[in-house]
Amino acid sequence: MAIVPIPVSGALVLQQLAQLVVNGLITGTILALTGVGVTLVFGIQRIANFAHGEYLTFAAYVGLLVNTGLSQNLVVATIVAVAATALLAVGLHFAVLRPLAGRGLVATSLITVGLGLMVRDVVFLVAGPRIRKLNIDQTAVFDLGFFRISPGQAVAIAITLVAAPAVAWFLARTTIGKSMRAVADNRDLAAVAGIDVERMGTYVWLLAGALAGVGGIMFAVVQGTFDPNLGFEVLFLIFTTVVLGGIGSAYGALAGGFILGLAMELSTWQGFFGGLEARFKPVLAFVTLIALLLYRPQGLFGKARVL
Amino acid sequence: MDLGNPAFWLFVAVIAGIYGIMALGLYVQFSLAGLPNFGHVAFMAVAAYAMAILVVRYDAPLVLAGLAGLVAAVILALVMGLPALRLRADYLAIATVAGGEIVRYLAMNLPDLTGGPIGSIGMLGPGNIAMFNGGWQAFLDAIRAALGRLLGPVPTRDAVMAALVWASLVVLIALVHRLERSPWGRVERGIREDETAVIAAGKNVVAFKMQALVLGAILGGLAGILLALEIGVFSPDDYSPTLTFYAYLILILGGMNRAWAIPLGAVLFSLLYSGTRFLNFFPLSLFDSGSRAFLRLFLVGALLVAFMAFRPQGVLGNRQQLLLEK
Amino acid sequence: MLLSVSGLTKSFGGVRAVDDVSFDVAEGSLTALIGPNGAGKTTAFNLISGFIRPDHGSVRFAGKPIAGRRGDVVARHGLVRMFQTPRVLTRMTVLENVMLAAPDQPGERLAMPLLMPRRVRRREAEIRARATGLIELLRLGPLSNAFAGTLSGGQRKLLELGRALIAEPRMILLDEPMAGVAPVLAGELLGHIRTLRAERGVTVFLIEHGMDVVMSISERVIVMDEGRVIADGTPAAVQASERVIEAYLGRAQSPAVAP
Repeated sequence: MAIVPIPVSGALVLQQLAQLVVNGLITGTILALTGVGVTLVFGIQRIANFAHGEYLTFAAYVGLLVNTGLSQNLVVATIVAVAATALLAVGLHFAVLRPLAGRGLVATSLITVGLGLMVRDVVFLVAGPRIRKLNIDQTAVFDLGFFRISPGQAVAIAITLVAAPAVAWFLARTTIGKSMRAVADNRDLAAVAGIDVERMGTYVWLLAGALAGVGGIMFAVVQGTFDPNLGFEVLFLIFTTVVLGGIGSAYGALAGGFILGLAMELSTWQGFFGGLEARFKPVLAFVTLIALLLYRPQGLFGKARVL
Repeated sequence: MDLGNPAFWLFVAVIAGIYGIMALGLYVQFSLAGLPNFGHVAFMAVAAYAMAILVVRYDAPLVLAGLAGLVAAVILALVMGLPALRLRADYLAIATVAGGEIVRYLAMNLPDLTGGPIGSIGMLGPGNIAMFNGGWQAFLDAIRAALGRLLGPVPTRDAVMAALVWASLVVLIALVHRLERSPWGRVERGIREDETAVIAAGKNVVAFKMQALVLGAILGGLAGILLALEIGVFSPDDYSPTLTFYAYLILILGGMNRAWAIPLGAVLFSLLYSGTRFLNFFPLSLFDSGSRAFLRLFLVGALLVAFMAFRPQGVLGNRQQLLLEK
Repeated sequence: MLLSVSGLTKSFGGVRAVDDVSFDVAEGSLTALIGPNGAGKTTAFNLISGFIRPDHGSVRFAGKPIAGRRGDVVARHGLVRMFQTPRVLTRMTVLENVMLAAPDQPGERLAMPLLMPRRVRRREAEIRARATGLIELLRLGPLSNAFAGTLSGGQRKLLELGRALIAEPRMILLDEPMAGVAPVLAGELLGHIRTLRAERGVTVFLIEHGMDVVMSISERVIVMDEGRVIADGTPAAVQASERVIEAYLGRAQSPAVAP
């Protein structure tokens, strides 16, 4: 996943650091928000949703349609994309995943793979494979002194400042948020405590879809250009986030997303022995995932399993 | 091309045979030992790339390069297996996807070695064209000539390829079937259902899983090499992660618990694959050639979902023996 | 002493499930491990049989240290365990279940069935004969070709026993063999356990809840409570021990009442 680099003026290493921190926080937000959705789905529905990346793709293209096709501004486009993706997620849940529940993890994973292929290729068929972009003037630059940001990044930061606290508050303070976390943590206990597990199962798809919608728009806006392969490229990073945070732990996904995003960006900092080449950033994520699965599969906040 | 053209059917046959071997590799890992390997394509890619690199850069004879490719697939299996086999099903699926992605990522980003996104044709650097299947073409031509002397008309390369691939597939299925019914197969079937019980029975479960993984990797590697030889020029996109799910679909179509159902699944799949590529009647004619690829993938996804929903035992399986209840 | 456990300790997240446990089991004996729920009995079994790694302590079986070694390694040493809920392979037949557990199978090595089919077939025939014999012994004969999934709970326990026996173990660990079994089958199980010892010299170490069973067949009883061994002696001595009575009464259970 490539963040459009803003040229660093001079060779000021610190300035690059600040820049990378900003990039990292943005990447981190995308991963954190989408990760919360995926991890809760995993915890509540016991599904590894291999189609989730395509939800982001879907969101980006709905945003594209509204933004460039219907000439609405980005705010409207984002809202419509978020709503549409939430509906997509919940729709697939009712139409396919719920009727086919209980077939076992592998069977359900294969089904989500199939759904992902369908969503992605419908987008391909309808919108074509060429590269697209949303209506943002990517050539402008906001110079904030210590670092610069593109308009895309400005939008992303705005979304971050709204969405991240909102999600954290939702998870911590609202009944639904707390209930979801409870079900993801211990389904039986939550049921005994009177939580409507079935309804939480539906809500979690709405949440995951909405968050994927936010993530998809952010991705499109930050990357500048995108094609229908957007989601697939990000899926793997989202899974890494989820495993890092601990499968089923929403706070873990938030933390994991930021950690991973920052780690990936900061790894290219010149201050770290010249820094990693940018194109190898995903390798860092791969290595992290494998190391986690090997030595600490429960991640940061997940539960260790015994026998 | 249309349905009456024998070249179309030969292409179907070759693809069916190659994908059948790929699916057989997955069968050993998943249907037999219960390992949900979602990164099977990595074995194909590693073997194909190893072979091509050895032929193109080191002028290795094809047979040696092919064997080296299989060894590369085995090494990948060992490397992936050592950490991954201790994980439970969902983690294993994710870990194998990760493994597959790493292989593809490396293939894309080490252009000096692999030709990068351009693929095998670029292995000798810009400006040079690298081909590795010259030896194979010569081999096929020799067989064609021999058969021509025997039968009269000289068969096409695709005809010979199809015959070779199918002969191999049949022999390999017979071997796997034999193994399935042996004590080794019994242990694997036990592991598939309840590995704790098998451990308590004194069997080294990790070793058995590794053996299934390695055997599947060898078959996958063989399929990868054959695919490379058939298309002559390949890039990382020819070994995209979707191929793993082609293999799953083939297993599901035929019937997941029967090795002998694989040819049926492979043929059905190949009809879908080649049909969307070459046939031109309605409704396929609505899509231009560029869109056909997306249509094909859409159908693969739809079939995966449909079969899992309505007929998980496939065309030939029976409901009782379903093993997907993990 | 066939089995020697010394200082065995295991904690889970701060809770000491097994706390400095030490005891010996003599060869050829029938020993019971009892205690209230949550005493750590099954954990102790898991530690001894290699399914969980201990934090501290040692386990010696037939003189060899086995603490921390893998479950299948321990089983191959001759210490075979059974499970509280029997783990049978439901999609295989009863016969296949038992044959699976036989030791020394050349056919289990990957290339062998292809390279040396005759040798593999011969050994298979031997194993099939032994397995059939065991199945007959356990009175599961008519079910020999039935899928294990169709068996009742008690029949599954017998099947698990058969699987344990074909490996010719020196010692068997049984985890609550009578739990959830109809009285008739329970009686059969008990009979088989007694015969095991008498005729095959297999050492039996079992976890049990029902005190009357325990008292009637054990030579020695070890009592655990909250992860520790609180009594170790003959059934009569243990039954009279005040600490034991306290432990059970403290959880509103009386050792004299059989569940």
